[in-house]
Amino acid sequence: MKRFAVILLALFCLTAFAAEVMPPTPAKYFNDYAGVTAPATATQLNQRLEQFERDTSSQIVVAVFPKLQTDSSIEDYCVRVFNSWHVGQKDKNNGAVLFVFTQDRKMYLQTGYGLEGALPDALCKRIIEDEIKPSFKAGDFNAGLTAGVNAILAAAKGEYKGTGRTVADQHFAMPSGNDNLVPLIGMLFFVGIFISFFVLAASANRKGRRSGGRWHGWTIGSGSSSSGWSSGDSGWSGGGDSGGGFSGGGGSSGGGGAGGSW
Amino acid sequence: MKKFGIGCGVLALLGVIGLIIVIVVALLAGGGYNRMVALSQRVNSSWAQVQNVYQRRADLIPNLVATVSGSANFEKSTLTEITAARASVGQVKIDPNSSPTDPAKLAQFEQAQGALSSALSRLLVVSERYPDLKASAGFRDLQAQLEGTENRISVERGNFNQAVQDYNTAIKSFPTVFFAGRFGFTEKPYFTATTGADKPPQVQFDFNKK
Repeated sequence: MKRFAVILLALFCLTAFAAEVMPPTPAKYFNDYAGVTAPATATQLNQRLEQFERDTSSQIVVAVFPKLQTDSSIEDYCVRVFNSWHVGQKDKNNGAVLFVFTQDRKMYLQTGYGLEGALPDALCKRIIEDEIKPSFKAGDFNAGLTAGVNAILAAAKGEYKGTGRTVADQHFAMPSGNDNLVPLIGMLFFVGIFISFFVLAASANRKGRRSGGRWHGWTIGSGSSSSGWSSGDSGWSGGGDSGGGFSGGGGSSGGGGAGGSW
Repeated sequence: MKKFGIGCGVLALLGVIGLIIVIVVALLAGGGYNRMVALSQRVNSSWAQVQNVYQRRADLIPNLVATVSGSANFEKSTLTEITAARASVGQVKIDPNSSPTDPAKLAQFEQAQGALSSALSRLLVVSERYPDLKASAGFRDLQAQLEGTENRISVERGNFNQAVQDYNTAIKSFPTVFFAGRFGFTEKPYFTATTGADKPPQVQFDFNKK
């Protein structure tokens, strides 16, 4: 509720002062919204970053925008975008995003809490200055981004162990509907027991007057109704192919990383 | 016999309603209490994070001073200012594990940290005048670490204020407001944008005076 009010207030402030655009969560790991990289490079880097999440569970995302759409500073903007995308696994916060704004000639490598050890600020600065910047200065985004991704992956490689699946893969295999169904079944089970107790108590009262045994039908009935619910979850699994999509794992950033301009 | 049965039923019904009311009130109070405890813990943990990032900055300073003073004839006044500011930060005794309840205490803490912030940014501006220093890898690393730490400080301060806001809203909301004070849940102070601390420092370049 409070958060909603804050968001409303923030929206109001934004419309009042200037247009800040919060980009939606990207669909891929490598996202070139500015159209400065070759399709082959983009596909190859996307596949490598996806495989990297399978191998290490760390989520590394590259986002190339044409323009920085905020009146705030780049570091403030990037940390908010990072946290709205929830990059990194929830329990590890092992995400990193390389933001590039081509018209502003600025970039920022934002790290989640969990990758601050593998990618300390000074190393982020070195990757930006030594690996990416020289190519960008020469106008070669393909080489710069490839070198940057290489350096980031090399630094983050040993930090975490992967599960062999990305968050997007898991969403396909087990949709979120299942998570909500389990407590529902549990609740129905207890409600069933509760009702049977009442019925049992009521019929026990009348036992003296009528012949017993009527309540048996009730308990069986409530039991079978709850089992009828639980059988519903078999229809959900079995998602199709997962085509290299990115899906945020719930990680957050505390403002680590470094930026640079070229 | 029949009348007695109806009277019994009404009594039982009243009893059940009374019991339900008692249970609902207890649940509300219990739920509200647990919520306040959780929110208060969240304020404390974000306070610990704030302390953590400020400490991180304080730890960087000896390194920075050592690197900078190695540079040929670096302005001594800037360095003494930083060292003094860091010392005054250390003198503000504040519990790192539980967030301050006294606004004056928090203001004192903020003032000391703000003085260090402006001394640091002044040093970074002054260092622009020393090309050999700026070009050194050691200084570049330190500068990146300092900038990252400043970002962390602003992020954690924002998280802290958010946690305090949630907490303060909860203890002043309808059912909890009646018993929040009785259990010792009092309003907690926010970080404020201190005057001058968030503004870029004004540096007078006086090239005639050395």
